[in-house]
Amino acid sequence: MVPRSRSGRYARRVNERQRITERAAASYRALADLAESIEDEWQYVTDLGDAYEPSILALADANGGRPLEPEQVAAVEEAIAEIGLITDPHKAIDWLSTFPHVVALALGGDVDEPAGDGSRAPDNDSTEPDEDSPFRSLLRGDR
Amino acid sequence: MRFQDAARDARAVVYAGIQADPLVARAATLLAGATTAERLLARAAMNGERTEPDAWRRMFPTLFGEAASGEPRGHAELVLAASLEVAGRGEASRSQFRGAIVEELTARLLAARTGADAPVRRERRVLFDGVRAEIHPYDVTLESNTRPEVYDCKWGARGINADVLNQLDDARSHAADEDVNLRAAIVVLDVRRSCELRLDRSTANHAHTRLVALESLDELRETRP
Repeated sequence: MVPRSRSGRYARRVNERQRITERAAASYRALADLAESIEDEWQYVTDLGDAYEPSILALADANGGRPLEPEQVAAVEEAIAEIGLITDPHKAIDWLSTFPHVVALALGGDVDEPAGDGSRAPDNDSTEPDEDSPFRSLLRGDR
Repeated sequence: MRFQDAARDARAVVYAGIQADPLVARAATLLAGATTAERLLARAAMNGERTEPDAWRRMFPTLFGEAASGEPRGHAELVLAASLEVAGRGEASRSQFRGAIVEELTARLLAARTGADAPVRRERRVLFDGVRAEIHPYDVTLESNTRPEVYDCKWGARGINADVLNQLDDARSHAADEDVNLRAAIVVLDVRRSCELRLDRSTANHAHTRLVALESLDELRETRP
C-alpha cells in the first residue's frame, strides 16, 4: 500500500476550497434565477450576478488558497442551505447582495472589488485584504 | 430654507407604532455599537428563513466560532437575538421593522456628534422659498443653522430609486440657491458594492448625494468636514 503523501493531503484541502466556492456560486446562480422573475428588477439582478459570481469563484484563491478550517466549510454550507430555502423572489434579490459577503467573511476573503482587480489574493502569502478595502473592517471587527 | 413636521397621514400613524416598538430601539442601540460583521449578521438574520440561532452561529464563525469569546461574543449574541426577533415578527411586519431600525440607527449615530444647536429629528420636510413642498418627508434630519443635513434611509440597495435620489438632489440644489450648504445623503443597511451597482444604473442626478453603506455607517458619527 502506498502511504499518503503530504502533497496529496494538501491538494485535497485546496480542492475543498475550490469545491465549496463552486457550490456557493452554483447556489448563487439558482438564487439569481429565482430573483429574475421580478421583471422590473431584471437589470439589477443581472448586474449583481455579473459582479458577484466571479468574485465568489475567486474566493477559491483567497488567503493564498490556504486550506479551510472545518468551521469555515460549515459556515458556507449553512449560507448555501439558507438561500436554498428562499422561495420569495423579492427576498432572493436582497440575498443576492448579502450572500457573497457572508461567504467571503467565512472564507476570509473579499468580494468588494471585481474578480481579478482585488478579489484574488496576491501570489504571496498575504492573508489581509488591501488596506483601503471596506472588507478589511469585516475581518478586523472594527466597532 | 426651514424644516417642518410632516403632516401625519394614516400610514404615518401606523408606522409610528412600529417606530415606537422597544425592539426598534434595542436593535438600533446594538447596531450602533456593532462591528461591520455584526451588521452583516443582522442584515442576514433579519431577512432569513430560519429563526434557530445555531444555524446563524455556524454561518458566522468569526463572531461565534472557536476563536470568539468574551464581550465581543456576547455582543454578537445580543445582535443575533434582536435580529431573529425582528425576523420572528413575520414577513409582513419585518420589512417595516427593518426600515424603522435603519432610521433609528441613523438618528442615534448622528446624535453622537451633535448638540442642542443641531437637533436630530425624524419625518421632517424641508421648505424653500418659492418651491413647492415635497410630498415625502426626510427620514432623518440634522437641523443645524449653518450646516444642515437630510437623510433618506433604506434597508437594502434595492430601495435606491430615482424618486429618492431626485428629492435629495433637489433639496441640495434648492438649498444652494439660498446659499445654504445642505448635505444630502442616503443611508443603506446594505453593502457598498451592491449600492454602487444600483447607483451606476440610475439616471437621476446623484453626483452630490453621499452614500453611507453598511461598511461605513460609523462615518455618521464623524464631524462633517
